[in-house]
Amino acid sequence: MKNLKRFGFPIFFVVMAILPFLLDPRWQAVAITFLVFTVVALSQDIILGKSGMFNMGQALFFGMGAYITAILNSQYGWPMLATIPVAILVPALFGILLAGPIVHLRGDYLLVVTIGFNIVFVQVVQNNLGGVTGGPNGIFGLDPMNLFGMQLASQVSVYYFAFAVLLLTLGIMRNLEKSKAGRALHYLREDQLAAESIGINTRSYKIFAFGLGAGIAGLAGTVFATQYAAVSPEAFEFIQSVLFFSIVLVGGSSIPGILLGVFVMFVLPEIFREFATWRFFIFGFAMILAMILRPRGIWPATFGKIPKFLIKESNHGA
Amino acid sequence: MDIFLQQLANGLTIGSMFALVALGYTMVYGVMKLINFAHGDMVAASAFVGLTIYTQIMGQAASLAAVIVIFLLTAAVMACIGIILERVAYRPLREAPRLSAVVSALGASLVIQNGIMLIWGPRMKIFPELVPQVYWDFGGVVISLIQVIILALSLFLMVSLYLFVEKTRMGAAIRASSIDQDAARLMGINVNSIIMIIFIIGSSLGAVGGLFIGLYYRGITFNMGWQYGLYAFIAAIIGGIGNIPGAMLGGMLLGLFNAFIAGYISSTWADAFTFILLILILIVRPTGLLGERVAEKV
Repeated sequence: MKNLKRFGFPIFFVVMAILPFLLDPRWQAVAITFLVFTVVALSQDIILGKSGMFNMGQALFFGMGAYITAILNSQYGWPMLATIPVAILVPALFGILLAGPIVHLRGDYLLVVTIGFNIVFVQVVQNNLGGVTGGPNGIFGLDPMNLFGMQLASQVSVYYFAFAVLLLTLGIMRNLEKSKAGRALHYLREDQLAAESIGINTRSYKIFAFGLGAGIAGLAGTVFATQYAAVSPEAFEFIQSVLFFSIVLVGGSSIPGILLGVFVMFVLPEIFREFATWRFFIFGFAMILAMILRPRGIWPATFGKIPKFLIKESNHGA
Repeated sequence: MDIFLQQLANGLTIGSMFALVALGYTMVYGVMKLINFAHGDMVAASAFVGLTIYTQIMGQAASLAAVIVIFLLTAAVMACIGIILERVAYRPLREAPRLSAVVSALGASLVIQNGIMLIWGPRMKIFPELVPQVYWDFGGVVISLIQVIILALSLFLMVSLYLFVEKTRMGAAIRASSIDQDAARLMGINVNSIIMIIFIIGSSLGAVGGLFIGLYYRGITFNMGWQYGLYAFIAAIIGGIGNIPGAMLGGMLLGLFNAFIAGYISSTWADAFTFILLILILIVRPTGLLGERVAEKV
């Protein structure tokens, strides 16, 4: 694990930094997708893995960010860059508002309610509420990103935009783990009653986690809208939320595990295109097998610097 | 008034299908505290299994005896698949963290759903017309024979299940296991076989529900399980998850609610209204309508 931190991450960053020059355009697009979905999976990890709340509606916040960018750009002529703060803040606020009345619910109920939010969101954009979401076709023909007079129209520049967002997200997660909030979230995931009894306001930390995860997912949505210059409802269907949910848990809620999960879920199918119809059939078996063999995930996260012999095996999020 | 009575009849029909499927969710949840995400896809699979039994084994006969055989055979096949599902995907994870079992259930759901697609193809199939198209017109309110059959058979199954769970020794063992598995085991109840029985009952009821969906809506697709499964699960939560009469009540209420939304407002918003109803009920009564207040296990 130590070696991984010392060598693995620098190697990963260097490879990712030069990657677009090694790939042809089709694989550049796949690489951008990988970066975007990794950010969404990490944002899901803040809510599900780090805080232990059963959220199965992460595509909602992702989609909301993408749609905000698309609507502000296509309807109101905002430059793409200017939509970023709104695409972060509105999903974050929405996450806080949605989480407020439901975080106290039992895990499984929370899961179903968040599924519900996701489905309602897709239905709202499909039915073209307010006439701004473009209905089932979505919105297309968005402007390219414009940074200090430079047009970021090429795929390589979108790639670096996505990469920057990933680095930002990784930085936030790293700081979160070392901060008071991160420790509080860790305690309340391990044992909510114990956390409350030592004075942690579990409710406000849960809502905080929802807001943070939603905001990051919203930012990823902006990158997604930039990449395709379009948004459409089916990209944010609830099956996507199921995939993000599974990636976090199969990966073990750790950064390498999540990277691996996103790679397997979204990049491998591009490599093995001829097996496209078998994709989810095989994934389903893989999910069952992974959980039976490694119930805590393929690459379980560790917290802090607690020596191994002191850690009691506990049921996470039980 | 006509719309009201018509939607009442439709709602009761849809509701009894939801209720049959919801029973499968609620019984599994009651004992294992697990959302069996694969149940909806089992329901979808049973419609396809029924279709194949009809065309391959029954030689497309549609007599009453043939229909009964189709129902029994499908229920038997699905019960076997249910047992396999529990053995393969859930039993190894009984002691694992809760979320691991949820992921395994999601995986099983993907396997079954895409298994249907690989076997029967991605396109919609038309379910045979096993029940003659007979309609009765009560002054503007049209009720079909199939609606009457669905409602009557569902009620019969639900009452039988209720009596089985409340009045028999086995039923008492099921109730005991759902209250406290460890205590039940100490009382000499074989919890493993109880779980197997629950999967047999749940899967066969789901099979009947799936065949009803085929008979009533006629068009069946490989991915319809999520939709019906989710609604049935919501019905189980509304009634109070783990509670058998609650699942029946929740199913009926949700069916009526949906029918009235479709009749008076618009069916394009049905999902949104359903979830708003669910959220409101959970805010007011976090344990569902008939659910008892139980402290979450620490």
